[in-house]
Amino acid sequence: MKKRVMVVDDSRLVRVQLQDALAGTDYEVAAYCRSGEDAVAQYDSVNPDLVTMDIIMPGMDGIDAAKMILKEHPDARIVMISSLAYEDTFERARKIGTRGFVDKPFYQEQLLKVFGEALD
Amino acid sequence: MNSALTQEELEQILNQAVQDITERTAGVRLHQGEQSPGEDLCTVHITFDRGFHTSLTLCADTSLLYRMARNSFHEELLEPEDLEEFGKEYLNVLCGRIASAMFQATRIPAHFNPPVFYHGRYEPEGREIQFVLTYSNEYNEGAQLIHHVPCPEDGNGAEGTLTEGSI
Repeated sequence: MKKRVMVVDDSRLVRVQLQDALAGTDYEVAAYCRSGEDAVAQYDSVNPDLVTMDIIMPGMDGIDAAKMILKEHPDARIVMISSLAYEDTFERARKIGTRGFVDKPFYQEQLLKVFGEALD
Repeated sequence: MNSALTQEELEQILNQAVQDITERTAGVRLHQGEQSPGEDLCTVHITFDRGFHTSLTLCADTSLLYRMARNSFHEELLEPEDLEEFGKEYLNVLCGRIASAMFQATRIPAHFNPPVFYHGRYEPEGREIQFVLTYSNEYNEGAQLIHHVPCPEDGNGAEGTLTEGSI
């Protein structure tokens, strides 16, 4: 059975790239959310195996959205995907309990490796 | 802490980012050259603040931007708003890569604002061009990445070493 991924990103480009990268793998996109608020609201009903979370989005950013989801669901597996690949961003994301970081634009191999580690 | 970049180093960071991001996101190979975009062009502009006070302007032939957008979105028929959406997202990813590379070189985190899209050429006010990187693809479609710095108020140019707050 495929692992269900909830994609949280306001970028159409990233949504298409994720769809391409996950085609033919053990993962499928279960839902798209365009904002942090949307992700927090939809998490319960989607109940994904994994969440990919952008950081910079209009409204609530990805770090705050991840924090809110993890507060309610401490076992949530969240991987941050961002073009802002700073060490302090990695550190902030790691501290709140997210499971990995992928920088944009990503390679399929790198993405699947981080997904696998996040689900271990 | 090394908080300075020479113009040459910055040009190298920008050039690597443009070539890599364009190929990876849009499947288009750009080569540095002399050919400027023609009359039918679009501009996407982004400003950096906190860390580096600079701006980048991408001017590209509309046909090139459409080609990149079609490849990226996997759609043959695109509306003008698709072109705008692509142009902004492309520059966002490009600037993320540039900001990360500048951080690696200087340890200064940069922040950039949402990009703005224009049909035609746009030149930001209160800024002067520091350098221009010119590109073309195999179809002779052209693009330019223009690095702007704030106009000097004291008559000093922005040449030489690029430091925090001034690039």
